[in-house]
Amino acid sequence: MSNASLATKASPPASDISEPQPMRKRRGVNREGLEAGKRSTRTILWILLAVAMVLYGFPFLYLLFTSFKTPIDTIAVPPTILPREWTLENYTNALGRSGVLASFINSIQTAVISTVLSLVLAVPAAYGITRYKTPSGQVFIMAALVTRMVPPVAIGIPLASMMSSVGLADTPIALSIAHTTISLPLSIWLMSSFFESVPRDLEEAATVDGCSRLGALWRVVIPVVSGGIAVTAIFAFLASWNEFLFALLMTAIRSQTTPVVIANFQTQFGLDWGSMTALAAVYSIPVILLTLLLQRKIVAGMTLGAVKG
Amino acid sequence: MRISDRRFALYLMTPAALFLAVFVAYPLFRLVADSFFKISPIAGGPRDFVGFQNYVTAFTSEAFTSAGWRTLAYTLVVVTLEFALGLGMALLFTTLGKKSQIWRTVFLYPLMIAPIVAGLLWKFLMIDNFGLIGTLLHQAGILSDPNQIGWLSDPNIVLFSVAIPDIWLTTSFMCLVLFAGLQNIPGDLIEAARLDGARAPALLFRIILPLLRPVIAVALVVRGIDAARAFDTILIQTNGGPQSASETMSLLIYRTMIRFGDPGLASAMGTIYLLAMLAIAFVAVATIWRPGKDN
Repeated sequence: MSNASLATKASPPASDISEPQPMRKRRGVNREGLEAGKRSTRTILWILLAVAMVLYGFPFLYLLFTSFKTPIDTIAVPPTILPREWTLENYTNALGRSGVLASFINSIQTAVISTVLSLVLAVPAAYGITRYKTPSGQVFIMAALVTRMVPPVAIGIPLASMMSSVGLADTPIALSIAHTTISLPLSIWLMSSFFESVPRDLEEAATVDGCSRLGALWRVVIPVVSGGIAVTAIFAFLASWNEFLFALLMTAIRSQTTPVVIANFQTQFGLDWGSMTALAAVYSIPVILLTLLLQRKIVAGMTLGAVKG
Repeated sequence: MRISDRRFALYLMTPAALFLAVFVAYPLFRLVADSFFKISPIAGGPRDFVGFQNYVTAFTSEAFTSAGWRTLAYTLVVVTLEFALGLGMALLFTTLGKKSQIWRTVFLYPLMIAPIVAGLLWKFLMIDNFGLIGTLLHQAGILSDPNQIGWLSDPNIVLFSVAIPDIWLTTSFMCLVLFAGLQNIPGDLIEAARLDGARAPALLFRIILPLLRPVIAVALVVRGIDAARAFDTILIQTNGGPQSASETMSLLIYRTMIRFGDPGLASAMGTIYLLAMLAIAFVAVATIWRPGKDN
């Protein structure tokens, strides 16, 4: 998901997917086009969709149901779909374990620091790239693209040893820097697309009025792209929140994030499936709700770049 | 004095460029440098220059070459299935039109789930004995025994089983991108083809897919890069087993580094892996993106 960023300049008709309104217009165009007309066809298609949605949604529902089973029923043979007895035992077990609540705080801390860092670095860089089409800017955006191809496992170990040599081993700062190596290239790509859609006259008018270039960026352009900044922030946050490999390599007891704790349940405490499902549910639900609330923005961010004209 | 635009742009880019240089380029340099040394896993241990010895070891090791093939197979399986399913869903949402919008949103939900959670969840569904999938197939009369298919324990099929969470997680992304592409196809084009008597398959293969080509290509490259780096979902499901049958490149490098304590060899493997990824991605991007041709 994280990489809607490979923007193509070769796509057909230009469309500004960043704006929610034109969607309606385009759908209107398509109504006569691909939309199914016959009532019977539509009924069959709706049934197909219902089947697909049930199949697609079921795995997570099963995780939720399981988290409300008793720890013994969790691994009963044969398994049942619904709990025979609804209980919060798995939740109290999971959240009561030492380090679990701390890991939530670590996850939040790491994701917030990484998001802020990504934005602070990406917003000016993307502006520099899109507004002043200098050769260095073009080289830079290609370099950022290449960074996206680097397998995390390749830089994880050197990065970890760098952090410990400057005394940052096992801290949320070190991990959030590592996460920023993932989210920064993505943020630069997203922000570049958003800046592209801002008319240049805006800053020109501001500079004529005596604003400095930095002043124009800060007071005129940034407010215009604030929606884009929000989208970028969501992606940077999610990238860090869900990241596992760097967290595994770079954290020990003090700064462990929840994904590592979830994975550790497998070995450290034997196989406690009940607690694992409960913790996984608690960790995933906030971000799923976030998607539903902010779906328009998220859709815009994900499609940007990939289908940009 | 007012600085030139060019310099101003450079200043704006400098912090991000420095960050990437220090935290991506330098670690990469360290990785390449380490690949020429025999390194003791103990901190401060001996470090001997061995030239290309680690590369020779990597290329002659069975584990390395099979991990390479497995990574390729895994990537192809993931990307092909995701594309087929994603396109199907995108067409379904398009043909249903506006009324399906809410379901389109719901369909996105796996994208927000951590890969580690997805891997865990599917492991729980596919695991021997108390896995639900085997049980349901047994109850439906398809399998004679719930454990007839060892999803995660049969070396012959495990590479496909471990790919399922990845497919489940990101088919939504494929669908979303293709859906957006479909919205850009002019309606009158479809109308004209229909009037000419084109039926659904012809419409799909002659008109829709060719028009979507750039979008499809980008989506495939983006997902291909990600699938080739898959780590979390496989680690949590099988840890590369049984008998290394699901050990892809990321896992092999990780294990060489951590478990077998050979940072030099792991660095050589990492370097080869990185170069291979860059080469493949560049060929793909160059054919799609064609920088400079437009603008």
